[in-house]
Amino acid sequence: MAPMRIRPGATVTAAACAGALLATSACGGGAGSGSDTIVIGYSGPLSGGAAVYGKNIQDGLQLAIDDLNERGVTVDGEEYRVELQSLDDQYAPDAAATNAQRLAEQDDAAVVFIPHAGGIQAAQELNSSRTEFLLGAYSSDPKIVEQGNELTMMIPPSFKSYAEPFVDKLTQNGESKLGLLGTSSEYGQEWTKLVTEEWKSRGGQVLSDNSIDYATVSDFAGPVSRTLADNPDVIFLGGPSQPTAVIIEEARRQGYEGSFLLMDQAKFEEMEEFTDPENLNNAIGVKPVRDYDDPGTDDLLDAYAEKVTKKQPVTSEVALNYQSAAIVVTAMQQAGSIDDSAAIREAIPDAIGEVDEHFHVSGFPTEITDAGHLRNKDLEAAYRTPEGEYEYLPIEQPDE
Amino acid sequence: MTLFIQQLFDGLALGGVYCLAAIGLTLIFGVLRIPNLAHGTLYMLGAYVTYFFLVTVGVPYVAAIGLAAVVLAVIGVLLERIVFHPLRNAPHTHHMIAAVGAMFFFQAVAQAIWGADFRRMESPISGSVTILGAQISWQRIVIVVTAVIVLGLLTWFIKRSIHGQTIEAIEQDRTGSSLVGISPSRVSMLTFGLAAALATVAAGLVAPINLLAPTMGDALSLKVFAIIILGGLGSLPGAIVGGFTLALAEVMTSTYVSAAAGEGIAFVVIVLVLAIRPTGLFARAVQR
Repeated sequence: MAPMRIRPGATVTAAACAGALLATSACGGGAGSGSDTIVIGYSGPLSGGAAVYGKNIQDGLQLAIDDLNERGVTVDGEEYRVELQSLDDQYAPDAAATNAQRLAEQDDAAVVFIPHAGGIQAAQELNSSRTEFLLGAYSSDPKIVEQGNELTMMIPPSFKSYAEPFVDKLTQNGESKLGLLGTSSEYGQEWTKLVTEEWKSRGGQVLSDNSIDYATVSDFAGPVSRTLADNPDVIFLGGPSQPTAVIIEEARRQGYEGSFLLMDQAKFEEMEEFTDPENLNNAIGVKPVRDYDDPGTDDLLDAYAEKVTKKQPVTSEVALNYQSAAIVVTAMQQAGSIDDSAAIREAIPDAIGEVDEHFHVSGFPTEITDAGHLRNKDLEAAYRTPEGEYEYLPIEQPDE
Repeated sequence: MTLFIQQLFDGLALGGVYCLAAIGLTLIFGVLRIPNLAHGTLYMLGAYVTYFFLVTVGVPYVAAIGLAAVVLAVIGVLLERIVFHPLRNAPHTHHMIAAVGAMFFFQAVAQAIWGADFRRMESPISGSVTILGAQISWQRIVIVVTAVIVLGLLTWFIKRSIHGQTIEAIEQDRTGSSLVGISPSRVSMLTFGLAAALATVAAGLVAPINLLAPTMGDALSLKVFAIIILGGLGSLPGAIVGGFTLALAEVMTSTYVSAAAGEGIAFVVIVLVLAIRPTGLFARAVQR
C-alpha cells in the first residue's frame, strides 16, 4: 500500500486558513457580545486626504482608553475593559452615518465619535430614532448644536467664539483692509463669511475673496500674489496646518509684512514644523496644547511621544478627544449604565466634575450647555507677536 | 503690471509641470489607446521616491530626481507588463477598471510606506529674483527651464532616435509597424517607462513649492486629462500647447476674474474647443 502523502504546502495553507477563520470569528464575537467590555465607536477618515486628521482623533481616543483601562473602570459594581472600534468613512457623510449605525447595532457602542460636520449631521438623523447612541461630535461648526439633537455632545469650542476676539486683536492699530485666502471647503466658507461680517461691522474693508481648495492647488504663489496685490493689512487664511504654513511662507517671501488671522483648523505647533517659525510672527490662532499647564498635559505629551509618534506635536484634535473619552466613560459610571445613551448624556454635567485630574490636558470643560456643547469658561486664543513670543488672550463664548 | 508679470511666470511654471505630466499620458494613449487613469498616482509616487532619495538617502536634488525617474520608469514598465499587457485584447472598460485599481493600489502603498501626513521637500534652490518688480522664486525659473530642456530632448528622442521613432510608428499604424518588424509589446513598455519618468520629473520639480501627500495626484490627474483632450488625444504638440494654455488660462482667470472661475476655466475651455473642433486642437492619432 502506498503511504498517504500530504504535501507540506497544503498543510501550511490549511492551517493558515483555519487560523484566519478563527481569528475573524473571535474578533466578531468578542467585540459585539462582550459582557465585560465597553465599546466606544469611532467613524472618521482613516484613509484619503483627511487621514491624518482622522488618525489624530483616533489616537486621542485610544490614549484615553488605555489610561482608563490602566486605572480600572467600574460601572454599577462591575469591572469593564474599554475598547475602541474604529471604522473608516473617508470623510463622507453617508459612510459616517452607516458606520455609526453599524457600531451602535453590531458592536453595541453607546457612544460614537464622528469628527466632521457632514457626518455628524447625517448621524443626527438616526441617533435618536431606531438606534440610540450618544454622538461625540468633534466639529467647531455651531450648526451641530443648533439642531436640537438631544444625544449630541459637541467637543471643541464653536468657531463663532473666535471671530470677534481675533478681529479685535488684529485691528488695534487701525488695520482696515482684510484679504481673504481661506480654504474653499464648506467649513472654510462658513468661517470666511463669519470673519467678513465681523470685519465689516467695524467699518473695515474686505478685499476680494481668493479662497482656494488647499488640497488641489498645485502652486500657491498665484493666489498669494493676487491677495497681496490689494495690499491687505490682515490676511484671513487657514485649512490643514501644513498647506497653511506653505501659504504663509509664500506670502512672507513675496514681501507681506502684515498679520494673519488663522482659522481654528490650522495649528501653530504643526505649522512651526513646516516652515521657519519666524514666518508665523504676528498671527492669531488657537492656543497650542503644549502651552497649557493643566495637571495631565505633560503626561499626555509624553504618552503621545512614546506610543504614537515623536515626529508630530500633540494637537487639540488629540487632546480634546482624549478628554472627552474620559468624560463619557465617567458619565457611564455616574449613570450606572454602559448602554443607556440618554442616561449617559444626562450624567455628563455631573461627570465633568468627577473626571480624574489626569485627564485634564487642554482647557478641560467646565460645563456642558443644554444644547450639548462642552465648554471651558477660560478658553484662550494665542497671539504670536511680531517678536515671536506667544501671548494668550481670553475668549468670551457666545450664549447658546 | 507687476501682478501680471508675477502671474505670467507662475502660469509658465505651472504649464511646465502640466506639460511634463500630460505628455506621458498622451503618449500612452497614442500607443496603447487607453486612458491611463493611474497617471496621477505615478506622479505622486514619483514625488515620494524623489523625496526618499533626497531626504532619506541624502543624494543631491538633481540626482534624486534622476534616480526617482529611473525607479518610476521600472514601475511604469512593470505596470504595463503586469496590468495592461494581459488585457491587450480585452474590451476597453477593462483597462479603465484596471487603471482605477492600480490607482488605489499605489495610493495605499504610498500611505503604508510614508503615512498619510503631509511631507515637505526642501529644495536646495532657494531665494528669488526680481523681474520688473515681480518676485519670482528660482525654483519656478528652474521648473520652466527644465521643462523646456526635457521637452526638447523628448522631441529629439521621438523624431530622431530609432527607439523614439518606433513610438511614433506604432501611434501612426500599429499593424503596419508590426509588419516592418517593430514590436508593439516593446514599444508599449518603452512608452509606459517614459511616461512614468516624465511624470516623476514634473513631480520632483513641483514638490518643493507644494506638499507631498498620497492624494496629491488626484487633482493633477483631472487637469492632465483635460489637457490631452484639449490638445487632441495622442498628440505631442497638443499636450504641450494644451498644458501651457490651460495653466495660463487658469492663472489669469483667477487673477482677473475670480478664484472660483480659475478652478472651472479648464472645463469652459474644453467645452469651447470641443464645440468647434471635436477632435481637439491637434487631433490626428484618434482618427482610426
